[in-house]
Amino acid sequence: MAQIDMRNVQKFFGANQVLKDLDLTIEDGEFVVMLGQSGGGKTTALRAIAGLETVTSGQILIDGVEMQHKKAADRDIAFVFQSFSLYPHMTVRENISFPLRAVRMGAADREKAVTEVAEVLQITEHLDSKPSALSGGDMQRVAIGRALVRRPKALLMDEPLGVLDAKLREQMRAEIKRLHIARGSTSVYVTHDQVEAMSLADRIVILHDGVLQQVGAPEEVYLHPTNAFVAKFVGSPVMNIHEAQFSGVNGHSSVHIGGAETGFHFPEQLINHVRNTGQAVSLGVRPEAVLLSHEQREGYFLAQTSNIEPLGSHDIVDVLVGETVLRARTESGYVAREGQQVFVNIDPAQAHFFDGASGLNLRGAN
Amino acid sequence: MAGVQTTAEKWTNRTAIAAVFVALIIMLTPIYWIAATAFKPRNLATTIPPTVVYEPTVAPFVKLFTKRSQLREQPTQEEYDTAPWWEKMVYDGGEKVVRNRKSGEVRSSGYGDRFKNSLIVSVISTILAVGMGTLTAYGFSRFKVAGEDDWLFFILSTRMLPPVVVAIPMFLMYRVVGLNDTHMGLIILYTAFNLSFAVWIMKGFIDEIPREYEEAALVDGYTRIQAFFKVVLPEALTGMAATAVFCFITAWNEYAFALIMTNRNAQTAPPYIPSQVGSGLPDWTVIAAGTFLFLIPVAIFTFLLRNHLLRGMSFGAIRK
Ligand SMILES: Nc1ncnc2c1ncn2[C@@H]1O[C@H](COP(=O)(O)OP(=O)(O)OP(=O)(O)O)[C@@H](O)[C@H]1O
Ligand SMILES: [Mg+2]
Repeated sequence: MAQIDMRNVQKFFGANQVLKDLDLTIEDGEFVVMLGQSGGGKTTALRAIAGLETVTSGQILIDGVEMQHKKAADRDIAFVFQSFSLYPHMTVRENISFPLRAVRMGAADREKAVTEVAEVLQITEHLDSKPSALSGGDMQRVAIGRALVRRPKALLMDEPLGVLDAKLREQMRAEIKRLHIARGSTSVYVTHDQVEAMSLADRIVILHDGVLQQVGAPEEVYLHPTNAFVAKFVGSPVMNIHEAQFSGVNGHSSVHIGGAETGFHFPEQLINHVRNTGQAVSLGVRPEAVLLSHEQREGYFLAQTSNIEPLGSHDIVDVLVGETVLRARTESGYVAREGQQVFVNIDPAQAHFFDGASGLNLRGAN
Repeated sequence: MAGVQTTAEKWTNRTAIAAVFVALIIMLTPIYWIAATAFKPRNLATTIPPTVVYEPTVAPFVKLFTKRSQLREQPTQEEYDTAPWWEKMVYDGGEKVVRNRKSGEVRSSGYGDRFKNSLIVSVISTILAVGMGTLTAYGFSRFKVAGEDDWLFFILSTRMLPPVVVAIPMFLMYRVVGLNDTHMGLIILYTAFNLSFAVWIMKGFIDEIPREYEEAALVDGYTRIQAFFKVVLPEALTGMAATAVFCFITAWNEYAFALIMTNRNAQTAPPYIPSQVGSGLPDWTVIAAGTFLFLIPVAIFTFLLRNHLLRGMSFGAIRK
C-alpha cells in the first residue's frame, strides 16, 4: 500500500500537450476515480503512474520516492486494462500466477496465492480454462486477480468495466468496491461513467483537456462544482446552465434566463457578489432543484412543458422558460402530457453562478 | 450456414465444386507424372502413348544414389549372381556400378550430398530469416523508428531485383572473400533474400498483437526482453510458422544463386538434378526419382505446420 504523489507533471506527445501541470496526491488506501471526457488525458495519467509512459517533466513519487525515471517493472504497481489483456496462450491459473513468476516465487507459495485470490474473486472453477472460454465478467475478474495476486503497492484500473454490459457493470462495480474495502489497496480507477465514479470513489478527480478541474469527495464535486465543466459533467441528467440577467433591487431581485420577462426570486445575499461584476454570468441549476407545481405559489410562474422523458422512478420534464429549456426532475406522471402548463420555480439555495468567460463557479456566502 | 438451398444455389455450388476439381487435376497431374516416372522401368518412361499400367521398380532410386558407367561387356554369371539385388537392377539397365579401385566401395552419385546441402542451407537460412525477421518486425512495430516507412520500403526493395541480376556481382564478391561454394555463403544469401519478406509478414502479425499484453507483463515485473519471449513470441508463433513455410520453400527451390555460387562442396539439389540430363542419354526415370525425393521435405514441413498455416494465411485476421 502506498501514497502516490504527482507533482507538476507535464506530458507532451509531439506538440500536443496531454497533461498540463498535474498536481495530485493519492493517499494510502484511498480509492480515487479519474473522470473525464474522451481524450482528457486520464489514460495517459494512469500510464505515467504505472511507468508505461514517460513524463515530459515533473515528478511522480510513490511513498515519497521519485519514480518517474524508474521502469514499470520496478514500481510495484498493478494495472488492469480495459481490454483485459489476458494472455490467450496461458490458462487462467498461469495468467494469475504470471506476476509471481517474475519475482521467482516458489511453486507452493504461488499456488497458495493463486488459490486465495481465485476464491476471493469466485473464479476457482475456471482456473484451468483458457481465457477465451470465459465470459466478459469472469475475464475481468481474472484480470483483477492477476493484478492483486502479488499485493502491489497500488492498483490502477483503466476503464476496467468499459466493455461489459450494464447489468454486469453494476455487479462488478459492487465487487470492486467490496474488494477494495477488504484489501484496502490504494486504487486509481479511470472511467467516463460518472455513476461508476460516484459510487466507487473516496475522491473524484476530474480531468479535462489535460487540466485538473477538481478533486474532491463525490458529494462535494456534485454539490460544489468548481466550474461549469465539472457541473455539467457530473450528474445526470445534466445541470441546466443558461446565461442569466438580473433585475430589481433591495429584497426583490430576480434572475432571468432565456430572455424571459419573469425571473426567479433570489435572496439578495445569494446574488450580490455576481450581479455587478460587469461580466456575463450563467445560472446553473440541477434538474432536481427545478421545482414544478400545479398550483400558483409564491415565486412560481406559469410555463409550458414541451417534452417528457419517463424514466420509471421519476420523469424528466422540459419546461420552456423564455427561449430556453429548463429540465426538471419530477415524480413519475406529475406532468400528465406534453404541452401542459405548470408553475415553475427554482431553489435558490441549490443554484450556482458561473463566470461566463472562465466558467468558474462564482461562490458567494454560501 | 446450412439451411434451405434454392436450386440456383445448388447449381452454383456444384459448378464451384466442379471447377475446384478441374483445377486440382490440372495442378496434380505434373506431380503424378513425376511420381509415376520415378517408379518406371527406363524403357517405359518415354513411350508414346504414356504407359499407365506397369510394374513399379525402385531401380531409378538405386541409380539416383550410385555412380554408374556404361557396360562394355556383360558381367560374368558369377559376378551377376553374387551381386546384391540393387546392383542387379543396374546391370539389367545395361550399366554397372562404379566402385572404388582399392576398397571396392560403391561410389555415390552425389545426390545424397546435394540433398543434405539443400537441407542444411534451407533449414538454417529459414531459422535465421524468421528469427531476425521477427525481431526486426517487433522493433518496427513497437518502437518509433526514425524514417520507419523509408526503412521498410528499403527492406522490401532488396527483393525487387531478380536474383540473376545480382548473382554475377555477388559471385565476384564471394570469390574474393572465399564464400563461394560454401554453405555459409548460400545461407547468408538466402537469409538476406528471405529477410525482407519475413520482416514484412511478421510486422503484420505483430501489429495485430495488442500492446497491452506486453505492457501487462512490464508492470507485472518483467523486462521487455522477457515480455517479448513470454508473451509476444507465443502469440506470434502462428505467423512465424507461416513465414517459415514461405521462406523454406523459397530457399529449397532456389536455383539461380545455387547454380552460380556453388559447384561441388555446397551445391544444392536444384542445380544438380537438371545437370544429370546432360550426361549421356538422359535417363528420365532417375531425374524423376531425384525430383520426387526433392518434393518430400516441403510436403512434410508444410504438413507439420498445417494448423498454424491455415490460421496464419489469414494474416492475423483470426484474432477475436
Ligand atoms: N501514444 C500517443 N501518441 C500521441 N498522442 C497520444 C498518445 N496517447 C494518447 N494521445 C493523445 O493524448 C490525448 C489524451 O489521451 P488519453 O488516452 O490519455 O485520453 P483518455 O482520457 O484516456 O480518453 P478515453 O476516455 O478516450 O480513454 C488524446 O488527445 C490522444 O490523442
Ligand atoms: Mg483512456
